[in-house]
Amino acid sequence: MTSAVSLVGVSKEYKRGGESVAVLNDFNLEIAAQDFVAIMGPSGSGKTTLLNLIGGLDKPTSGQVSVAGERLDTLSNAELAHWRARHVGFIFQFYNLMPTLSAARNVELPLLLTSLSAHERKQKVAVALELVGLTDRAKHKPGELSGGQQQRVAIARALIADPTLLICDEPTGDLDRHTAEEILGLLQMLNRRYAKTVIMVTHDPKAASYAARQLYVDKGQLAEQSSLTSV
Amino acid sequence: MKYLPLIWSGIWRKRGRAALTALQVLVAFTLFGLLQGMKSGIDDVVNKLGADLFLVQRANGFGPMPLSMYGRMQAVTGVKSVTYQSYLGGTYQKPTQQVFAVACDLDSELVTFPDMTVSKQAIEAMRQTRTGVLVSDSLAHKYDWKIGGRIPLESQTKRQDGSGTWTFDVVGTFTPGDQSLSPDFMLMNYAYFDEARQSDRGTAQQYYIKVDDPRQGLSVARAVDKLFANSSDETRTQSLREAVQTDLQSIGDLDFVIRAVVGAVLFALIFSTTAMMAQSIRERTAEFAVLKTLGFSDSRVFWLVLSEVLSLFIAAAALGLGLACWVLPAARNFTHLNVTMPGSVLLVGLSMAAVLAIVTAMLPAVRAQRLQVVDALSVR
Repeated sequence: MTSAVSLVGVSKEYKRGGESVAVLNDFNLEIAAQDFVAIMGPSGSGKTTLLNLIGGLDKPTSGQVSVAGERLDTLSNAELAHWRARHVGFIFQFYNLMPTLSAARNVELPLLLTSLSAHERKQKVAVALELVGLTDRAKHKPGELSGGQQQRVAIARALIADPTLLICDEPTGDLDRHTAEEILGLLQMLNRRYAKTVIMVTHDPKAASYAARQLYVDKGQLAEQSSLTSV
Repeated sequence: MKYLPLIWSGIWRKRGRAALTALQVLVAFTLFGLLQGMKSGIDDVVNKLGADLFLVQRANGFGPMPLSMYGRMQAVTGVKSVTYQSYLGGTYQKPTQQVFAVACDLDSELVTFPDMTVSKQAIEAMRQTRTGVLVSDSLAHKYDWKIGGRIPLESQTKRQDGSGTWTFDVVGTFTPGDQSLSPDFMLMNYAYFDEARQSDRGTAQQYYIKVDDPRQGLSVARAVDKLFANSSDETRTQSLREAVQTDLQSIGDLDFVIRAVVGAVLFALIFSTTAMMAQSIRERTAEFAVLKTLGFSDSRVFWLVLSEVLSLFIAAAALGLGLACWVLPAARNFTHLNVTMPGSVLLVGLSMAAVLAIVTAMLPAVRAQRLQVVDALSVR
């Protein structure tokens, strides 16, 4: 299977109060295409920084980050934005939906960056909302939806541009157990049926068990890897 | 167009604040439209005044001049026609219903002001009816006067019997031409007025001269003034355009007042709306970060913010200018001029709104553009 994500000798430092704080040190990682990987580790271990680098939201201080065949560490901010629009879908813990837009309009957002017509965008939005089971909530605003429904809208938004990679930062962290399992099941279905590569940061071992592989990050290093027979 | 729902939702994220901002812009541009519209409207009226039309008044100010001057003026070389006017100011049914009546010799009036539109029947009816009046269209509409109606006016100008009540018969209507400074007035027979009034009989308040060649207008004016020099009725002859401008300047430096007021209002507007927009953008930091996460580039986010402010300002300014257009005709009550909003003021107003929006949005838009996604998302 080809490599979807490749990090070679990646280090990331932040300046805090005039001091450099190393978050990732000489980090190496390979994630195969169509894999479902859970990244776990204590707070401050560098999990989110890792996701940001893989998702093209941040650049490493040193080292190489290659995702979907593209060297992200060499791209400009504008090029990274363009790359994100085409290759990656993001799912956040707090959904991060636009509160004044309807569910359908939220899902449509990534398509505004394409040359699709209004009719084509509408059709794709309808398909994405159907996939996450929210066809009847298309016109509802986020404030009128439950947490689980909002996360489904966020998943539909992440999927709409048909990216190869889904990046999920604690996607079930704000949900009850039952809803969390529904969302995790949905991610698993996207991985298995639609061949999406899913990378998920989580603190929850139960959530991590939905992944095909678990990575443990500690003090900016890859501490442990394990493959599972997932749920 | 595809960004319109996103821009629209951004504008109305906080309805109260958006409405307040829009209201500020609306009020500012209503004021701008009214003041600038009035100024441009007055300029427009003045510019329409023909260069061949001259006004003759007493050299020492406003006062009656003998009617005997009429024939002497007609004899001056270069004079095409002369007409004379006296005036009657009065009120109709209420003290607020002021009516201005011009006593004139209709034949010479029509030659000197040929752009006035009046039917032959109305002219003939005036000739046949000593107490007849021709009422301007807008004045007739204002008081719902009809042909055949009788109009009583209460005036300070006394009749021979000591009464101030003047009664006229409406015999027709007319449309004033570009040379008329006011849209609301009526024409009465000078002969009737002069015969009926108690004082100043055999005099005219003003003479109007139309010259053969506008290029020779100044020398004709000098010749008229020279004709009456060193007499008890010395005259001052000036082009109607110049006379109106002199009258307007006597009110004050209109240009300066308008610039000062509009400048102060727009300056205050920039400060208040910039603060509001900056706050709005700060509150939406995470939302802009999400847009960038989804692939919106820094420059696209910049344009989104700019478009929001531009849309709000231009829509509110258009409403304000529209309101000014609607209200401006009421300015007739103060200026007695036929003021309408020129299209150029609308264009200038909308352009100013765009410039103000850009100035107001620049700082918040640059802030949104420079927003670091990772930092902004970590705030959540």
